[in-house]
Amino acid sequence: MGINYVLFMLLLCTRIAPAQTILTGRVTDQKGHALPGANVFLRGTYDGANTDSTGNFRFPTTRKDTATLLVSYIGYEPFSKKIRLGITAPLTIRLTEAANELNTVVITAGSFEASDERRMTMLKPMDIVTTAGANADITAAMNLLPGTQRVGEQTGLFVRGGSGEEAKVVIDGMIVQNPYFSSMPDVQSRGRFQPFMFKGTSFSTGGYSAQYGQALSSVLLLNTTDKTQNEGVSVSLNLANAGVSYDHATEKSSISATGYYGNLKPLFALVRQNIDWTHVPEFAGSSLTYRLKPTKNGLLKLYGMYSDSKLGMNFLDPSNDAGKTAFQQRNRNFFTTSTYTDSWADGRWLLHSGLSYSYDTDATTFDTQDFGRSSERAQGRLVLTRLFGANSLLVGAEAHAITIRNTVSGTNYALHDNYSALFLESQTYLGRNLAVQSGIRGEYSSVINRFNVAPRVSLAYKTGTFSQVSLAYGQFYQTPDYRYLFRNRSLDFERADHLILNYQLIKNKRTFRIETFYKNYAQLVREFTGQPGMPVQYDANPYRFPVGATNNGGNGYAKGFDVFWRDQKTVKGLDYWVTYSYVDTKRLFQQFPIEATPTFISNHNVSLILKRYFEKISTNISLTHTISSGRPYYNPNRTGELSETFLTDRTPVVNNLSLSASHVMSIRKNFVILYASVDNILNTHNVYTYRYTPSRDGNPEQTRYAVGPQSYRSFFIGGMIMLSKKAKVNINEL
Amino acid sequence: MKTIIIFIVAALAANSPVWAQSEPYKKAMNEAIGTMKGHTDKTSTADLVATANQFERIAGVEQKEWLPRYYAALNYILLGFTGKDEAAKDKYLDQADVNLKAAEAIAPDNDELAVLKAYVAQARMVVDPMNRWQQYGPLFQGGLAKAKSLNADNPRIYVLEGSSLMYTPEQFGGGADAGCPVLKQATEKFASFKPASDLSPMWGQKQIEPLLVKCPK
Repeated sequence: MGINYVLFMLLLCTRIAPAQTILTGRVTDQKGHALPGANVFLRGTYDGANTDSTGNFRFPTTRKDTATLLVSYIGYEPFSKKIRLGITAPLTIRLTEAANELNTVVITAGSFEASDERRMTMLKPMDIVTTAGANADITAAMNLLPGTQRVGEQTGLFVRGGSGEEAKVVIDGMIVQNPYFSSMPDVQSRGRFQPFMFKGTSFSTGGYSAQYGQALSSVLLLNTTDKTQNEGVSVSLNLANAGVSYDHATEKSSISATGYYGNLKPLFALVRQNIDWTHVPEFAGSSLTYRLKPTKNGLLKLYGMYSDSKLGMNFLDPSNDAGKTAFQQRNRNFFTTSTYTDSWADGRWLLHSGLSYSYDTDATTFDTQDFGRSSERAQGRLVLTRLFGANSLLVGAEAHAITIRNTVSGTNYALHDNYSALFLESQTYLGRNLAVQSGIRGEYSSVINRFNVAPRVSLAYKTGTFSQVSLAYGQFYQTPDYRYLFRNRSLDFERADHLILNYQLIKNKRTFRIETFYKNYAQLVREFTGQPGMPVQYDANPYRFPVGATNNGGNGYAKGFDVFWRDQKTVKGLDYWVTYSYVDTKRLFQQFPIEATPTFISNHNVSLILKRYFEKISTNISLTHTISSGRPYYNPNRTGELSETFLTDRTPVVNNLSLSASHVMSIRKNFVILYASVDNILNTHNVYTYRYTPSRDGNPEQTRYAVGPQSYRSFFIGGMIMLSKKAKVNINEL
Repeated sequence: MKTIIIFIVAALAANSPVWAQSEPYKKAMNEAIGTMKGHTDKTSTADLVATANQFERIAGVEQKEWLPRYYAALNYILLGFTGKDEAAKDKYLDQADVNLKAAEAIAPDNDELAVLKAYVAQARMVVDPMNRWQQYGPLFQGGLAKAKSLNADNPRIYVLEGSSLMYTPEQFGGGADAGCPVLKQATEKFASFKPASDLSPMWGQKQIEPLLVKCPK
């Protein structure tokens, strides 16, 4: 009895009547504003409560001595603190807002992102496909962004005074050797890649990361999707081609295959052509994508594509007595890339690696002569990133083996270049309002046996909740055009320095952005045509092969600004954006006798894009209006001082209004998209440039030809059907 | 004497680890589930957050139970459908993902969690359907397909599938013609479905009632 009684008393004291403590306090943000609905509790216990509308909490606990108090609130850093439970004074807890897109500065100078991953992005991948005048071509869509030039008869991206050769296309970190279909005289070629292959696009208009090189002006970074977009088979048919694609995914892997055949005959039969086609472009191709997740975070992607195209035309050629020259071309292109990405230690270490190979060959007949051209590029790349919270440090290396072959008038030219680079880049946040990105890149090119070191730095400062300013500076090098290197391998890298200042304001589905830049060109290749000892001559023939003496004596500048405004708010359902780019540039390069504005430059470029989705008829309508001011052209009839006559003539303004519509429907549970577009509704007879015939038959006046688009007003229609029930598209409340 | 011994045994038992864990757990869960059952579509954001917090507190203690994480995630998904602030919706859905991930670590290959995964994808898509259907549409379908492969009799699979079809415009393959048969399937599955315990997920039937009204009898 006695023992039991003692035991009972003991139990009574220690367990049966535990002492209760009431914990009270208040949870606020750093400024002292109440945070209602915060979760306050003691670790490992049920003791806890939510804060009320005034941020106060109160709960009892049976814990004694010490405990760990945890506080969590969405959007804020979790809070934990060891507390003594004897104290009854109210607790005051100040939470720190977690870093997010709204409260953290991002480095933006010189880059323009189209991404699914970031909410604050100015453009979505869908915008590329649904923009009139872009014809679902990535490059054409980029040409509607600020900082670009529209050069109707040439292929490539012309960014802030840069030529098409100064911009590179990069897929998953790997430089694409031939991103566009082979170019034909005076005809702009499309990009080879389908927009839906990519989950994100980052278009740099300058000052880009030390991770990339070999581009004096710009890089277009395309990142392929990690998953298949649909399940099953889809068939597409339009006026130019027919294609079929198949997608299948399992939990660990996925496969996508496409095949297409295209022939522009039906389209050209309907749309009047300004070009005398002898073989209407015909092309066929296929691609295969395979993705595998071998480990939890690892992802292996393999992509391969092959395409074959054929065409023939009589193009306007002033140098020919007949005024035109026959041109035929057969192109074969093969491109494969494999990348492996992985991460370790909760994402603190990231690996990006890749291998790629491309082969491209053109069999070309120019008049009666055969020309051959081929290029080969093999590359490897490895980038390792270490994250320290928001800060990061990355180190990487890349190596390329490039072989170029050319046959000109029976002479074979060949070159081999081993290009390698090493780069280091860090990103540091000095608080949430200030970020610094600094990088350095070292490059070596074996063909010219030269080495360079290029530093780059970007700063961004948040000036308000919705606005920020950014500044970027960098040095960029590019190996000279291989056409010059065939004859002279003692040339040095061409160089450009960029300085960019940017301001942007993103608020409530409205974006305003203005960027101003100064670009300095140095060590540009100059070519000296004509006889040695004689005054410098200018040879206006665009198809000439450079055979004159060359050196790195060229230089130049480009300066200007561009503005972007997008509004998805003011009119319900209407999304529009306006861009204006101004560039002032002069160069002494190529075979220019004096410093002048190059022929691909128009000082003013404006584009207006309007989009509206009509829910009742599930149709998306898009309207694009672009205006480019006149470009310089060479007029040999001008007499007088070279400085007053060289490239001083300007072509008329180029004006284009395009409309496109896409309609979504379902036929027997199969998802169908129909689309139609009209290019150049106003039927403007745009002129891109003029060329002159040599003086003939004692007639001193040279006659000029206008080079314009392939066709003036044109239209296009097509459709896509996703067969199989699995290919259902779920557009809730679209 | 006898009573004292019984009392001591009872007192000790009440403090023994086996009992102590499950009793407060059940009590806490029943209480939180009870609160949740009282919620309607008019329940305030604050109350939904409070309930999610309640489940997260339980999850903090019961680290081997997946259900507290499940319910916390479910509440955050519901929060993802409320309000107008897109960024806030995404934040709630991020928190749903955190809980879902923790639950999956405890109970891999669970059909209810697969359903929830599809539900998160749907909620994400609804935030910005124009730009997100391509990304989240397949994830939604994938979640449902996985749930079906684990337990084709789970009625909640058909609740999500059917209601999604009902809200999808006819031109995209939705509408009553497509949705009603699936919703009816859900009703049939509910009739024979036996929850594993009284803490197990039981939602769905009430949610589809207003949709079933639109279906031909």
